[in-house]
Amino acid sequence: MTPRRVAVTGLGLVSPLGATAADSFAALLAGRSGLRLHAPADAPKALAVPAGVCADFDADALFGRARAGSLDRYSQIGIAAGLEAWRDAGLAPTPDEDRDAWGVAWGTGAGGALVLERGYRDLYIGGRERLAPLTVVQAMHNACASHLAIQFGLGGSCATYSVACASAAMAIGEAFRRVRSGAAPVMLAGGSEAPLAYGVIRAWLALQVLAPGDADSAALACKPFQRERAGLVLAEGGGALLLEDWARAEQRGARIYAELAGYGESCDHSNLVRPSSAGQARAVRAALADAGLAPQDVDYVNAHATGTREGDSIEIAALAAVFGAHAAQLAVSATKSAHGHTLGAAGALAAAVTVLGLHHGVVPATLGDEAALDPDCGGVSHVTGAARRGAPLRAALADAFAFGGSNAVLAFRAHAAH
Amino acid sequence: MLDTASAYRFVQERLGIDVKSTDAATELASLGVDSLSLLELVFEIEERFGVKVDQDTPLPRSCGDLLAMIEQFASVKP
Repeated sequence: MTPRRVAVTGLGLVSPLGATAADSFAALLAGRSGLRLHAPADAPKALAVPAGVCADFDADALFGRARAGSLDRYSQIGIAAGLEAWRDAGLAPTPDEDRDAWGVAWGTGAGGALVLERGYRDLYIGGRERLAPLTVVQAMHNACASHLAIQFGLGGSCATYSVACASAAMAIGEAFRRVRSGAAPVMLAGGSEAPLAYGVIRAWLALQVLAPGDADSAALACKPFQRERAGLVLAEGGGALLLEDWARAEQRGARIYAELAGYGESCDHSNLVRPSSAGQARAVRAALADAGLAPQDVDYVNAHATGTREGDSIEIAALAAVFGAHAAQLAVSATKSAHGHTLGAAGALAAAVTVLGLHHGVVPATLGDEAALDPDCGGVSHVTGAARRGAPLRAALADAFAFGGSNAVLAFRAHAAH
Repeated sequence: MLDTASAYRFVQERLGIDVKSTDAATELASLGVDSLSLLELVFEIEERFGVKVDQDTPLPRSCGDLLAMIEQFASVKP
C-alpha cells in the first residue's frame, strides 16, 4: 500500500513584514526589513530595543473590539494566521461535514506573556488585590489552539507544544504525523508568539543575546552569517499551515502549495543554550530519511540562524556535515534578518516562507551585504541581499532549533517535482 | 459615584457598541460580546468606577440589560 502523503493546501502569516502571507512574502522578496526600534508600553524604566512589531495587524478590525479585548495578543495573531490558512485552503467556515478527527497543533514559547505581565504589574506595582477574570484563560499556553478548534469546529486532537524556539516546528511535525498515519485527514498547524513585553525583553537582555541598535540601525540589526553579527532581534508573529491528506486534497480540487514530506527531531542533550552541530545534523538527517530525500535532492534550507555569534556557524557546520559535497550548491538564507526571531512561532514562519519559496520557485534572501559574510559560515551557497529566482527548487528544509537543545526540521517537496 | 455618561463612553470604548442607541432587545452575543467579554467588562467597570456588582447578579444578555446594569451601578454608592 502506498503511504499517505501530506499536502499543504493553505497558508497564513502575520509578521512584522505584513498582516497576510502574500504581503509578508512580497516584502521579504523586495528585501524590506520589518524591524525597528521598539519601546514597550508602560515600561517603568526607559527601554528601546530593535524588534519586529506586527504594525499592519489590526486585531480590533478583524475580531471586533469586544472579542479582541478578550484575547492575549499571541492568540489574536495566531487566530488571524489560522483564519487566513483556513480560508486560503478553501474550506467551509463552519462544519458542513464530520470534523471529529480534524485537529489543531499549535506552538508557542511564552503563551499569554503580555496578559501575565499586565496582571503582575497590577498586583505588584498597582497594589490591586483582584486580577481581571480572564487572566487565566487568556494567558494559558493552549488558549490559541483552543480558540482555533472552537472557530473551525475541530473535534480531534487539540494540542499545544512549548519547546522554546522549536515549538511551532514540532507542532507542524506532530500534525504531519497525524495526517500521514491516517489519524486525521486535516490538521491546522502552526504557532504564534507575542513576546514584546517589558519583562520578557529585560529577561532576554540579561541573557546577552539581543542585537544592539538605535533608530537608524534597528532595521538591519539582525545580521545572520555576517562577521559583525551581534545577536538576535525579538519579534512577534504567527504562521499557520493547513495540512491535508493528499488524496483528499486532490479529490476536492484544492490548490496544493507543496508536499510536507518529512519531519526530523533530535535533542543535543548537552547544554541548555549552546547548540550542538552533531545534534542538529541528526535532526536534518532524520528529516531527509523520513521524506525519502537524498542530500543532493535538496535545493534550499531556510536556516534557523538568528544572528548570534555561536549559533549561526554551528548550524552551517551541521549542514556541511549532512550535505557534504552538495553543500556548496545548497541555497541557504536566514529570513529572521527581515522579520526577526518570533521564538515559539519561528518554525511556522520558516515553514510558510519555505513553502511559498517552493511554490513560486524563488529563494528569499538574508538581508545584508554579501561582502560582509563571515568565512566561519562559509561552505554553502548563501542567498544574500537579493532573492534568487530562476533556479529549479525540488525540495527544501525549514530548520528550528531551541534553547534546551531540541531540534526540529521539516522537509518539503515542490508540488511540480512530482 | 459612577457617572453614567462616563460608563456609556467606557462601554463604547471597550466593546465598540453604543448601548444607548442600540435596540434594547438586541442580544449582546449577536454583537460579538460573549460571556467572557462581559465578565471582563463588568470587572473593568468595577475597577474603573469604584463600584461593586453583587456576585449573584446575572450577567446582562441584551443591550437593555447592560443599560439597566449601568443605571443600577449609578444608584449605588461605592
